[in-house]
Amino acid sequence: MTIKVRFFARFRELLGTDIIVTSQEGTHLLTVVKKIAEKSQDGYDAIFDAKGNFREFVIVMQNGKRVETATAGSVPVTDGDEIAVFPPVAGG
Amino acid sequence: MIAIQTGDVDIGALITDAKKKGTGAIVVFDGVVRDDDIREIELEAYEEVAVPELEKIAAEAQAAYHLLSIDIIHRIGRLAIGENILVIVVSAGHRKQAYEGSRFIIEAIKAGVPIWKKELSRNGDRWVPGEHPHGQRPKD
Repeated sequence: MTIKVRFFARFRELLGTDIIVTSQEGTHLLTVVKKIAEKSQDGYDAIFDAKGNFREFVIVMQNGKRVETATAGSVPVTDGDEIAVFPPVAGG
Repeated sequence: MIAIQTGDVDIGALITDAKKKGTGAIVVFDGVVRDDDIREIELEAYEEVAVPELEKIAAEAQAAYHLLSIDIIHRIGRLAIGENILVIVVSAGHRKQAYEGSRFIIEAIKAGVPIWKKELSRNGDRWVPGEHPHGQRPKD
């Protein structure tokens, strides 16, 4: 199955965006993002802590809906999903 | 009008359009690029989520403050010092509703709409840190 991962702001600069990945059925959201982030040490460190969990301030969305990062390790992705990962917002 | 766009905003036209029947007050919020010893700023948005979020905020403000019209236009791309970033125009029957409705909208945008800005200066570039729900800021 195919998943699109989008990074924004500083994360985009470090890792790129609109990344299409192919995953096995039952793969979890955390695993998908981590696999991409591992391509850049700075990108990985910006998003994940030393234990490999999403840093507290990181915001993750699955198809436009917020996902609690603490549970991202058990949230499965499905074919066609759009996963967005970004730092705290700063508009206005 | 609710929009995220690169182009500038005709605030005068928005004020004219905001004068609906029953209007007694119009409040305009115009957030501009401040001269913080920078050259310009660059704004980025997750538009597919940001626009529905702005529409949701507008609906909440309309219901809570009985606003007669609401315009929210947030710009993206590169903007120079003094340029408009965010324009909010609301009209209501009375000033209290208009002021409070406008304040509600700007605070809600800053709290949760996926938009980011980067300051570009001679000394390097810097992403403006946002506030996250636990009150801490990310390390730059």
